[in-house]
Amino acid sequence: MSRFQRFPTASPRRILACRAAALFVAIAIVGLVLAACGRNVGELGRLVLISTIGSRFGLEDLALFMSPLLLTGSAVTVTRRMGLWNIGGEGQFYLGAVGAAGIGLFVHGPAILILPLMALAAMLCGMAWIALPALARAFAGVNEIITTLLLNFVASLLVYWLATGPWRDRVTGALASSGRLPVSIPDMWGVVHWGFPLGLLIVVGLAAVMSSTRWGYEVRISGASAGVARYAGMPVKLRIISAMLLSGALAALAGMFEVAGTVHRLQGGMADNFGYLGIVVAVLARGSCLAVIPAALLMALILDVGIVLQTQQVAATAVLAITGLVLLLVAIADECAHYRPVTPAIVRPARSAS
Amino acid sequence: MGALAGSGLWRPVSALADAPTLAPHLPPLREEDALVAFGHTGPITDGGWSTAHDKGVQAVRKAFPKLRTVYVESVPYSADATRIFRQFVAEGANMVFSTSNYGDFIKDVADRAPEVAFLECDGVTVTGNLGWYYVTHWYPSYIIGIAAGLMTRTNRLGYVGTFPIPSVYASANATLLGAQSVNPGCTMHAVATNSWFDPQAATQAATALADSGCDFLCGITDEPAFLRVAESRGLKAAMWNLDMRRFGPKAYVSAVVLDFASFYIDQVRARLNGTWQAAANFLTLAHGVDRDAWGETVPQAIREQADAMRDRILGGYNPFRGPIRDNSGTVRIPAGTVMDDNAIYQWDWGVQGMTGLG
Repeated sequence: MSRFQRFPTASPRRILACRAAALFVAIAIVGLVLAACGRNVGELGRLVLISTIGSRFGLEDLALFMSPLLLTGSAVTVTRRMGLWNIGGEGQFYLGAVGAAGIGLFVHGPAILILPLMALAAMLCGMAWIALPALARAFAGVNEIITTLLLNFVASLLVYWLATGPWRDRVTGALASSGRLPVSIPDMWGVVHWGFPLGLLIVVGLAAVMSSTRWGYEVRISGASAGVARYAGMPVKLRIISAMLLSGALAALAGMFEVAGTVHRLQGGMADNFGYLGIVVAVLARGSCLAVIPAALLMALILDVGIVLQTQQVAATAVLAITGLVLLLVAIADECAHYRPVTPAIVRPARSAS
Repeated sequence: MGALAGSGLWRPVSALADAPTLAPHLPPLREEDALVAFGHTGPITDGGWSTAHDKGVQAVRKAFPKLRTVYVESVPYSADATRIFRQFVAEGANMVFSTSNYGDFIKDVADRAPEVAFLECDGVTVTGNLGWYYVTHWYPSYIIGIAAGLMTRTNRLGYVGTFPIPSVYASANATLLGAQSVNPGCTMHAVATNSWFDPQAATQAATALADSGCDFLCGITDEPAFLRVAESRGLKAAMWNLDMRRFGPKAYVSAVVLDFASFYIDQVRARLNGTWQAAANFLTLAHGVDRDAWGETVPQAIREQADAMRDRILGGYNPFRGPIRDNSGTVRIPAGTVMDDNAIYQWDWGVQGMTGLG
């Protein structure tokens, strides 16, 4: 007789299979609940498929959802490799938007010069925003989860203040927004801007840096065991700081893409939880940079389905519950993947009933 | 209700529109073929702003039983709004209402869907297929302000604001000017909560205002949280959107009440008939916006004094006349001039005696 035993690792194929099963179960549960509420599940499912992956319109929306998630997801993944959590992606996203909007609003010139300048300013702002948590973590051991998280609220209020105060729009009368940026990331395909392929490229580049540079090697070793890294003479503190700065820059770049590609104005609430969703993407990607791409796609799909369901009169709160259900089942599936049936080599004598 | 169409009660605002009112170009539709979509800023159960709009939606359903309508609640002020409006268009909507301002998020969608009629509440832009509508809430606010000025003992009014945007300036300024017209020593203290629907933040703001000595609370939130604070602290409060007196019967003075039913029915009918035009529309006092029936604790003399102003406004009087000073003491509206609705709609400075709204 075989029994299940937990193994410390699970093969990617096993995890994938378990997750597919989890998604299937999630869809089945949602379908049953909707059917019990008297909804036509078949019609709803057909509409969801057409509006997400079954039409050009849906694919455009998926790509638009993915482009910030790719960057905020890889921002968290970088710190995961270091054994740290950057929960401050939302704040760094906002600061990136502030830096980019600051250049876009007040420096005038051809887009070909201004756009890279905006990206640079965004990354510097994001790095500045995470610098304090990074230094506090490296030199004083202050828990970076708390410090990065709390700075999100400061960043959000800073954006509200700028957008309704000194930078508020005085030209078109747009509410609670800065003026419209004169330059924008050009569209590539419908409403999808070039930030999407650029985001993909950055994720692939990051994977290469992580797996085949000395820096990436040292980050991975420091993350696996700081003691071993120190013993091997690796500058662990410097690696903590550099990995966190890179993380801040990536999340900030997502903010630049969003402000210059989609929203075109600085305004409160524009981060749309992309910073927090980056944490979910990183958890789904299990610390692998390349896996950020399918994880971001899954997250984008969930968000997109949520919008379709809302226009079909499923309440926003129900959509949130569905998202939670999917992620819960995926987390359970990840754990289940570590269990494998083992057949004991030696057949022990049956124990007496007790 | 159809009698309202063309009677001039929806006052078109040509001065604000960046394009002149364009000839109708959208073809007529059969009622059973049409889809009308509504995007709400909050949950339709908020008991205030979104509930008021939803009552309008229900009136549309009743007037056009074969018409299909859909709505989405809690549309965020972010790129998600664009996605939701795009989804409406993709699902075949012929007419889309956003019951709050969504600026570029709705304009970007309207520009790419010229065959769909868009109407944005509290909007600023008029294009060939995008118009806006708003209530002239500053008149009932002024009337309620008179009651506030007569009822306050501390001469400190508290204002639970949301964002420092023109509607909030107009609402707070109008209330304070109304109060000062009968009690020149009145001041107002405003707090911005950065949300239209955040009962917890509104409760905190109202508590802080009460602690600082304000004995009359007003504001522009979508829900009744600060009325509960006023009731429990023994203060007075004036609300927005709908009759909320059941949440604080002793504290309730009145409210800026909204009724979008006639306007929505009118606009949908025009769209179905093929006569819809993108325009800017103000819903005027007693035609979509008014003060609510006075609260049980408002003395008769105060009701009469405030309602005398209501009668004058209905007779054509504009109480927003110079000199009006800003909160640094500079005269912004000189003596002998009045602020018309367009100027009030774009108000972006606080009047003398206002703090918290720069």
